[in-house]
Amino acid sequence: MAFLSRTQIVVAVGAVLLALYVLDLVRRRRLSEEYSLLWVLATAVIAVLGFSTPLLVWITNLLGMMGAASTVFAFGLAFAVAMLLYLSIKLSRLGFENHTLTRDLALLRHELDELRTRTSGEEGK
Amino acid sequence: MTSPARVLVIIPAHNEEDSLPGTLAEVRSKAPGVDILIVDDGSRDGTSRIAREHGIQVVRHPVNLGVGGALQTGFRFAVEHGYDIGVQLDADGQHDPAYLNVLLEPVLKGECEVSIGSRYVTSTGYKAPLNRRLGMLLFSGVVKLALGKTITDTTSGFRAYARPVMQVCQHDFPKDFPDAPLLITFARNGFRLVEVPVVMRERVAGQSFYTLGKQLYYPYKNLLASLMALIRRPV
Repeated sequence: MAFLSRTQIVVAVGAVLLALYVLDLVRRRRLSEEYSLLWVLATAVIAVLGFSTPLLVWITNLLGMMGAASTVFAFGLAFAVAMLLYLSIKLSRLGFENHTLTRDLALLRHELDELRTRTSGEEGK
Repeated sequence: MTSPARVLVIIPAHNEEDSLPGTLAEVRSKAPGVDILIVDDGSRDGTSRIAREHGIQVVRHPVNLGVGGALQTGFRFAVEHGYDIGVQLDADGQHDPAYLNVLLEPVLKGECEVSIGSRYVTSTGYKAPLNRRLGMLLFSGVVKLALGKTITDTTSGFRAYARPVMQVCQHDFPKDFPDAPLLITFARNGFRLVEVPVVMRERVAGQSFYTLGKQLYYPYKNLLASLMALIRRPV
């Protein structure tokens, strides 16, 4: 499995850089802690798999994968799918909340306009 | 009801400045006893201005939510302002306000909570395009399967709702295509549905809510939503 080592290094280094970037985003308040969790976990898993060949091979055999590299990619892909589903759920919820807020805003605005017209009418008397 | 029922005609309008004046004038002349609310669903034209010029109250969404969102706003308005019945009427002139009394009658008599103005109960001369007809056949079948009750015109947007229905709908209403799944939800919540025959016209001006993409998405969404309406617990 010596031919994998270069791939493993690339994957591992990439994972570490990504993790650092994610943490930095949190530090700059551009990513919430909640969203960072999945990313940090995923990069940690990929980094470990990248560094530890015996573990990777063991998991590969356990899952019956064709090659060790496939295992890394399978984990990455599984993560991507999980993240997309999670985002779709969040997006649906945001859309729903957005709808409710829009309706509330419209009704409040109407009420405010009515009140203003009424008070300005009274002042005119 | 001892005092006359308070009726609010809810007109969802998205860029309907061309057809709105005619529709408003017609409602006022043919159904003088009812109040009107325009829900301007994020129009970019003069829809709100025209409504105000006609002395009609307007609630304006800052962004476009779709016909379901507009109706939901209307229901909430009706509930908050103490209306007994809400009527859904299209801004585009498709629905003839002359039929308002026919539509309101079964609700006023307490025979049902939702009354649907239907093009097909008796032959009313309306000819829909083929894809529309197929869709109606399909969803009429879905409703029949779900409720054991025949609703021929599931897509009619000319309906009257009693106050208890609006109280439910103000919190939970489909954001688009409020058709077959909605009717199933109503029945599951114990509301009675009645269809009354009406004649509908071609739209006068403006754009339909239903673009090509939506026409393709419609059957998927409403089949899924119908199933969900059937297996969800009633509120």
